[in-house]
Amino acid sequence: MTTDMLSVKGGTKIFYRGTLDERRALDGLDVALKPGDFCIVIGSNGAGKSSFLNAVSGKLPLDSGRISIDGQDVTRLNAHRRAQFIARVFQDPMIGTAPTMTIGENMLLAELRGKPRSFSYGLTAARRARYSEQLAELNLGLEKRLDMQVGLLSGGQRQSLSLVMAVSTRPKLLLLDEHTAALDPRTAKLVMDTTVRAVEALQLTTLMVTHNMEHAIKYGNRIIMMDAGKVLVEIGQEEKNGITVADLVERFHTKSDAIALQGA
Amino acid sequence: MDVFNSFYGLIPVTIAQSLIVSFVVLGVMLPFRILNFPDLTSEGAFPLGGCVCGTLITAGVNPFLACFVALLCGFAAGCTTAFIHLRFRINTLLAGILVMTMLYSINLRIMGRTNIPLFTYDTVFTILAGPSANFPWTKILIVGLLVALVLGAMLYFFMSEKGTAMRAVGASPDMAEAQGIDVGTATIIGVGVASALSATGGSIMVQTQGFADVNMGFGILINGLAALIIGEAITGRQTILRQVLAPVIGSLVYYQLISFCLTLGLAPADLKFATGAFVLLMLALPNLRRSGGGVQIREKIRE
Repeated sequence: MTTDMLSVKGGTKIFYRGTLDERRALDGLDVALKPGDFCIVIGSNGAGKSSFLNAVSGKLPLDSGRISIDGQDVTRLNAHRRAQFIARVFQDPMIGTAPTMTIGENMLLAELRGKPRSFSYGLTAARRARYSEQLAELNLGLEKRLDMQVGLLSGGQRQSLSLVMAVSTRPKLLLLDEHTAALDPRTAKLVMDTTVRAVEALQLTTLMVTHNMEHAIKYGNRIIMMDAGKVLVEIGQEEKNGITVADLVERFHTKSDAIALQGA
Repeated sequence: MDVFNSFYGLIPVTIAQSLIVSFVVLGVMLPFRILNFPDLTSEGAFPLGGCVCGTLITAGVNPFLACFVALLCGFAAGCTTAFIHLRFRINTLLAGILVMTMLYSINLRIMGRTNIPLFTYDTVFTILAGPSANFPWTKILIVGLLVALVLGAMLYFFMSEKGTAMRAVGASPDMAEAQGIDVGTATIIGVGVASALSATGGSIMVQTQGFADVNMGFGILINGLAALIIGEAITGRQTILRQVLAPVIGSLVYYQLISFCLTLGLAPADLKFATGAFVLLMLALPNLRRSGGGVQIREKIRE
């Protein structure tokens, strides 16, 4: 058996513990991803999808439970230390890049993610050439604008740049947090296509949160449905083939109704 | 014509002064613009540098060493401000005010009195230039070289791998963290370096004016801010070169303007009001131009 690329065991995070507002964001969450898994995470608002991603990235320290990446326990590592394993594309194109810095500088920041940074000159000619090559694959003309401030790019361009920055280092784990939700349909498709191409070409283990059921069916090899901070339904490779949106919705409701009945 | 003659005569002295203060302006720019950390520590770090340096020189310490110790003290003061903000989640401005206020007592304790004259002691200027140490052009040459050195070092650093990471912390902290940058450490070091620059300015100032005084920092921050705003209006902020040049150019222009206003007959007592009004105007302009700006401001405060 191969080692899981990501393993979350009993992940629990409770906000406002012991008060009337107590809210279980994650409630004994168990997830395991094999190397190369492209796992889609769906669930209604407040189901814990974002908390799950934040817990994995280290932004949200767990109250209890363990997280390991490629066999290494990272539960106690804070976010900037986990960055050596993880790349992330945020929902908001403004967060994933540094707007007042140039495209080249942003690429440099991403290339050195989780690596020691030295006092030597950053944007060397060799690096510029490499970045141009990587950006040319997007077909957005960004490769000719390495010295342009990222803040001047459109949301779609920034999100595409974010994606290149994330995958160019071949992270052990790629986190996509509704990364096409803030884009218009055409741009969203463009970014999604780029995502799938990169994930498949580099065999990246990926967690993608989405509200788009079509995307959930079309992309990836596994689906996790979350509710109340736990995995409610898990759909594997074989089951996923041929499944429809209606099936998904029904599976979700049947299961949550069953749980509601149990509780009653 | 008399006015212009006296203004003309003051130009070298003013250049020397503005070069010294440009250390403080650099120390204001770095947290404000690079780290997005509005910081007031300079107001306390500048006299701290002066008091430490003055006290050490009168104690017979080598003036170069005295400057270096002043620099280290400034660094510690800046680190303290950043640490207070990060550890206790206290607003950056309030953290700066706390440190600045406490530094006043510390400065008094260091000197043991409010004022130390240094006229009879060797300074870096008398060591380097001997008897011509007091000519304005000597000071311009020595301080100018030092400023050029600091500018070059800052420019190189901000284009290095480490410096790019520090700029990312100010540009987008979430992104910086996701790229594996330790936001807390970068902030502490950055604000520390900024205050070290201000303290260095203070240590050079006491050696040129011939005395150290606990009240010498009063209003230096607003002067620095005004100089920074003028500098950025001239150079712009699009590239790191422009951003690093702005403080020095701004300082050179700002102090000539002040000197011009004073020779025209502006009462020195009104100077701080005039400077404050100028900074207020420059900061308010973008919002005045936009219609409905008032509503947006209120929403910003609520955030």
